[in-house]
Amino acid sequence: MSNTYAIVVENLTVKYGEEVALEDISFKLEHPSFLTIIGPNGSGKTTLLKSVLGLIKPEKGSIKVFNMDVLKDATKARHMVGYVPQRERISTNVPIRVADIVLMGRLARYGPLTVPSKYDVEKVREALELVGMVDFWDKRFSSLSGGQQQRVLIARALAVEPKMLLLDEPFSAVDIPTQREILNLLYNLRLQKNITVVLVTHDVNPVVECSDKIMILNKKLIAYGKPDDVIKDDILLKAYGVAVKIIAHEGICYVLSGDTHA
Amino acid sequence: MPNILDILLSPFMIRALIAVVLIAFVASTAGSFTVYRGLTFLVAGVAHAALAGAALAILLDMYGIIPGFPEILGAAVFAIITALIAGYVGRKGESERMEVAIGVSFALTMSIAILLISMIKEYAVRAWGLIMGDILLLTEKDLLLLAITTLIVVFTTLLFYKEFVFVSFDMEGATAYGVRAELYHYIMLLLIALSVVVVLKGVGAILVYAMIVVPAAAANQFSKNTTSVMIWSFFIALFGGLVGLIVAALYVNVAPSAIAGLIVTVFYFIALIFSRR
Repeated sequence: MSNTYAIVVENLTVKYGEEVALEDISFKLEHPSFLTIIGPNGSGKTTLLKSVLGLIKPEKGSIKVFNMDVLKDATKARHMVGYVPQRERISTNVPIRVADIVLMGRLARYGPLTVPSKYDVEKVREALELVGMVDFWDKRFSSLSGGQQQRVLIARALAVEPKMLLLDEPFSAVDIPTQREILNLLYNLRLQKNITVVLVTHDVNPVVECSDKIMILNKKLIAYGKPDDVIKDDILLKAYGVAVKIIAHEGICYVLSGDTHA
Repeated sequence: MPNILDILLSPFMIRALIAVVLIAFVASTAGSFTVYRGLTFLVAGVAHAALAGAALAILLDMYGIIPGFPEILGAAVFAIITALIAGYVGRKGESERMEVAIGVSFALTMSIAILLISMIKEYAVRAWGLIMGDILLLTEKDLLLLAITTLIVVFTTLLFYKEFVFVSFDMEGATAYGVRAELYHYIMLLLIALSVVVVLKGVGAILVYAMIVVPAAAANQFSKNTTSVMIWSFFIALFGGLVGLIVAALYVNVAPSAIAGLIVTVFYFIALIFSRR
């Protein structure tokens, strides 16, 4: 219905030294939509996310985020995006409150020696309310459960008022009920807040039903399109090299109004 | 007991007292970020590199190659090189890889240090001074250097506090949100290296770890936020240092840095037992 694209990738090739991480990837993602990127380990999923963030210089090709080149207009393009890194990469040595973590992303944009304004704090509160973690405002991050930590990191991404969320393996090391809660949350963001959600996962099962688009990656773009067109045995066989059984869970992505608790 | 008061008010003791306060500032700033980044081993690595640098400086001076080459400069150069190598290896935020690099440079610089010390036999005592350290033997020049460095470390830490915390917490995320994470990563390592070098002369290469790392590690056990870690590590380091000096004033033959080291480690173990994390 609209011709705004959240992401436009053209002929993207990324190399780490001699090793090809991504080869000749091209795709367009409409805004708003829910994209799930799947593929086996080492298939370049994270590399693609980082390239979209402008953190990796590609060998060839271009990436535009909301019509801005992620390398030439890096700052502007990044301001459109909230990023949720893999939780395993985050240090728990730093004693830091939930609220300060969510504030972090916003303050990072102002440069050194800035104090948060009332508006910043308000945005932090809104973001924490959205993920259902506002009661944990004063808690130390390392004292939270995996799922709670994940939601705080999503709140940090939301606090920067993004048009698009990029999430790297948001379901790793969280239990199934928490997985569903997070998925519901993301689905509602896309539906109610018109935020484009792009997530990378190695486990496609829970996400199929929520996704507008699925991308199967194995260094090359194996398939990209609507779930029904992509989730086919022969395509999955091509990506993973072995037969992968997909079970469609019905009714995982029900829309909830207001509260995000299932 | 006027006797103790006399000792405490003597010039060498006053210099030592000032040094203890300055070291406490370093412990609370550079020390806490060392703990956050999980890089406590860097302090030990850099200290031993500094030793090799100082030994080289003594050698250059002794053989008249570069007469009057200051030990502290040799120490600083070696310390900074070690920190930068470790920093380069871990520039994407992988602390585990840095640990290995630090370990390797530890072995290298320690070999160099021992080799050089064996070559400067009659002056080896100067190098030994750096291994053991003596806070009571600090000159006014040493103190001035410690003061300037402390000022730089504290000022830079406060200036980039928010960025340092973000990078320590999540380097990749920091970059994605527009923080020049790699730059701050190197700045942090340089501050840690400089801190180690200037504290070295006062407390020695072995106990520098106790004074920079342990107070912050203890504070981090029970603190809820980074400000609290800074404040507590300052007071733990200060308390350790002061008790060390008072004991040294009472019993002349006791090394104050050793007492300080014992005190702060006791704090750590108490914090460990009572923290409910």
